[in-house]
Amino acid sequence: MIHRPLWLRVIAYAIAILVSLFYLYPYWWMLLGAFRPAEAVLTDPLRLWPERLDFSVFRDIATVGGVSIWRYLANSVWITGASTILSVGITALGAYALTRRPDLLAFKALRSGFLLTMMYPYMLLVIPVYIVMFKIGLLGTYAGIILFLALGPIQFFLFEQFFRSIPGEVIEAAIIDGASEWQVLRLVVMPVAMPVVATVTIITFLLNWAQWFPILVISRSPDTYTLPVALLNMTGELGVNFQGIMALAAITTIPATLVFLLAQRRVMQGMADGAVKG
Amino acid sequence: MSSMTPPVSANRVWVFYAFALPFAALTIIFGLWPIVLSFSVSLTKSATALRAEPIYVGLENYLSVLSDPIFRASLISTLIYTLASVVANVLFALGYAMLLHSTLIGPGRTIFKVAMFLPVVTPDLAGYAVWRWLYDQSFGAVNAFLDLVGLPAFGGIASPDTAMIAILIAELWHHTGFFVLIFLANLAICDRSLEEAAEIDGANRWQRKLYVVLPQMRPSLVINTVYAVIQFLKTFTVVVIITKGGPNGATNFVSYYAYRLFDQGRYGEAMAMASILFVIVAAVALVAYRIGDRRPS
Repeated sequence: MIHRPLWLRVIAYAIAILVSLFYLYPYWWMLLGAFRPAEAVLTDPLRLWPERLDFSVFRDIATVGGVSIWRYLANSVWITGASTILSVGITALGAYALTRRPDLLAFKALRSGFLLTMMYPYMLLVIPVYIVMFKIGLLGTYAGIILFLALGPIQFFLFEQFFRSIPGEVIEAAIIDGASEWQVLRLVVMPVAMPVVATVTIITFLLNWAQWFPILVISRSPDTYTLPVALLNMTGELGVNFQGIMALAAITTIPATLVFLLAQRRVMQGMADGAVKG
Repeated sequence: MSSMTPPVSANRVWVFYAFALPFAALTIIFGLWPIVLSFSVSLTKSATALRAEPIYVGLENYLSVLSDPIFRASLISTLIYTLASVVANVLFALGYAMLLHSTLIGPGRTIFKVAMFLPVVTPDLAGYAVWRWLYDQSFGAVNAFLDLVGLPAFGGIASPDTAMIAILIAELWHHTGFFVLIFLANLAICDRSLEEAAEIDGANRWQRKLYVVLPQMRPSLVINTVYAVIQFLKTFTVVVIITKGGPNGATNFVSYYAYRLFDQGRYGEAMAMASILFVIVAAVALVAYRIGDRRPS
């Protein structure tokens, strides 16, 4: 290690710590806001420790927009979970087919079509999706929401990158030994694909947990809203319930934060790989 | 594939079509169809857009959008915001990544990285909801802090002059972790021996960073810039939750304006705006990639 003057290192650490505080402080302030009575925040917004823990907010947010908070939580878990599993399965199979046999009729067109879709500004794609859902009768259904959330660029790029890295000889050897394509997939490819499957699963979970706009647009009533959409609904309807908004924001944030912290290395590596490829 | 490939039976082809089928179905139904629809709806009369046989009005929606002073103002503020955001995010992320990568930072590097990346995986809506209140004149910590250290108050989201800066900071908080990650990945594969050679040749630290390291950062600079341009051109969530386009239309960016028209049932104009924005996004992405490719690396 090259020796650098101490004062320079002190400055570098001071900057890094200040920047990190800028990124972390909003989380702490959100938690304080959820557990401190609103009047207390008004008199002292900067207090770093709650004067007492106030749990009254959970009565306020027991129902939002006429729907129980538990329903929003269940929707979040169900929509995120189902769309993640579907996304991993469908994208893995699709990317596998497209990587193994790019020569097949229409496969090139499919890949280009997918890339075009992913380039289209997401928010603006969602609006005509409303019309599509209306036409195929999936407006307001869980199925519509889950199917729409099952498609994403980073999942595809990570799988494509991985399948390209499998040496062709390994697969050919299995085929010469008489394995069917299904056996090749199950016995040769899947065992080595487990790490990338894990990475894509966690990243998809995080991305879909955060989704709100497609869910708002495809939904017909708050019955299919997830936590973020409920939060948006709440800011609209009860503009001033500061404590409730902070509590709901915290409930929305904590699961994603925990998943990320448990798998931070994998998530950051995967997001970097997926982005560099795309 | 090598010449060892055994004869391909029809069965072996069909199985790949079967594997790709669900993926193809989703791509077509929820990707290509809506894109085609958005274009065709942009050519119809809004009130008839959802009917089985909509009335086509040619480019009327485009003309009405382009002659709409609110849309023009919206487009200009979107471009200004995008430019400012791209410069702020990319420069800040580059500087911070170089700091984290330097020999000045030893232990704790992972913690600094994780702290910055956390907002990237935090649901953006929740993050921005917190920022909306951080800026609040009575509840907010921002002005309380400025007051504490003796700085003048920040207008935040209440004033048209500062609303754009306020949401720029909130978005910076949400996005920079990603840009830093990409820069760090690039820095990790930079050739240290080039820097050492330059040092032997007598280049000082800043010269080495500028002439040796920076050129090697081209791939990540291109990726981050293109990504940032696309990202900020379609800025949406932060506006929905923090400013709702205000105050006085100061943050009424194109995505948000298009959504508001959609919400009012003005589908034709909303989709015309979407198409215009898509053309801008695609053009900018294309030009940026070209510039990134042309220069020698």
